[in-house]
Amino acid sequence: METFLRTWLEWPSVAAFVAKYTWAWPLGETLHFFGIILLIGGIGMFDLRLLGVARQLPVSAVKRLLPWGITGFILCIVTGLMFVTGVRANVPSSPYDVIKSNPWLQMKFVFIALAGLNLLAFYVTGMNRRVDDLGPGANAPVLAKAIAAASLFFWLGVIYFGRLIPEGL
Amino acid sequence: MQEFLESIENSGFATYIRETPSVLGYSTVLALHTFGMAFLVGLSGVIALRVLGVIPELPLTPLKKLMPIVIVGFWVNAITGVVLTSLAIVSLSRNWDFYVKLASIVVAIVALTKMRRYAFADPNARDDAPSSPEARRWAKLMLFFWGLAVLGGRLTAYATYIRIQSAAAVVVAVMVLLLLARFLVRYFRARATTMASSSSTLSTRKVEARV
Repeated sequence: METFLRTWLEWPSVAAFVAKYTWAWPLGETLHFFGIILLIGGIGMFDLRLLGVARQLPVSAVKRLLPWGITGFILCIVTGLMFVTGVRANVPSSPYDVIKSNPWLQMKFVFIALAGLNLLAFYVTGMNRRVDDLGPGANAPVLAKAIAAASLFFWLGVIYFGRLIPEGL
Repeated sequence: MQEFLESIENSGFATYIRETPSVLGYSTVLALHTFGMAFLVGLSGVIALRVLGVIPELPLTPLKKLMPIVIVGFWVNAITGVVLTSLAIVSLSRNWDFYVKLASIVVAIVALTKMRRYAFADPNARDDAPSSPEARRWAKLMLFFWGLAVLGGRLTAYATYIRIQSAAAVVVAVMVLLLLARFLVRYFRARATTMASSSSTLSTRKVEARV
């Protein structure tokens, strides 16, 4: 497993690209931040509505923001992959060793996984269909609120642990 | 002036936040700054998207309820921003990029205030009514300067030539992403319209068959 991950995570071409083009890393950082903003503006806004903020908004309309949140998540994933696979451009370690030795990066991955499982729970429990019909002023079911609160907590956790990553390098 | 800035940077508070080995120091302040940015820019961006007609399905009036969270986001960023600035105020005071960031924030906040005033000016306006040209103009300006503020913040630590190259790369990347987003929005809108019209044709046929 270790050999597989060590090989799979090693992308010399990405590291060489990042080392050669000095604008690549700051570009990735900026797009990562734009991704965070879209994620909170899309998914975070949906969570807030389920929790009762701006309750006069029908949930079906707020759902139109989700593609923006997903776009933000994709931006963060793509740029995040660049940071991990191109890490050799900044530190003299392999991506595998960085992941293995950095508890904050590990926590970030755990929280991304938890956010994913939480999303799965939203669909498995049928809450996604239950909230679809929530019109202006309607309250979300307690379980949907709990899932929304967990979603916000996990995504803010992802951001928090992401900011701690340099501490572990 | 220099002595005054040095006294801030070397104060016990700034030294503790900068040098404490605890993650609750510098990194946590930085994380709070990111939380503030995400809510301030993310939620004011939602209002701007509605004002610009990108998401016309969102009723406008209830979006006003997001403003308290936007304001909290602003104050979290103002406080953490002052703390973070105090940690390296001597070098930041000589960094032109830092002034670009501060100026962008000021313009974005003014634009946010104006957008809010124009967008929510008429309490009796229909929720699906398009926003006034003034509100749209301020919304565009706000989004542009939020983008510039985020970019400025990210590039503060880099040398000038890297900043210029990176800024150009960001402009190109954002243009490509916006064109892609425009294409996707139009594609999904057209698909939704086609599906709606084909389902209405189907129900008409069913009615005709029954008759």
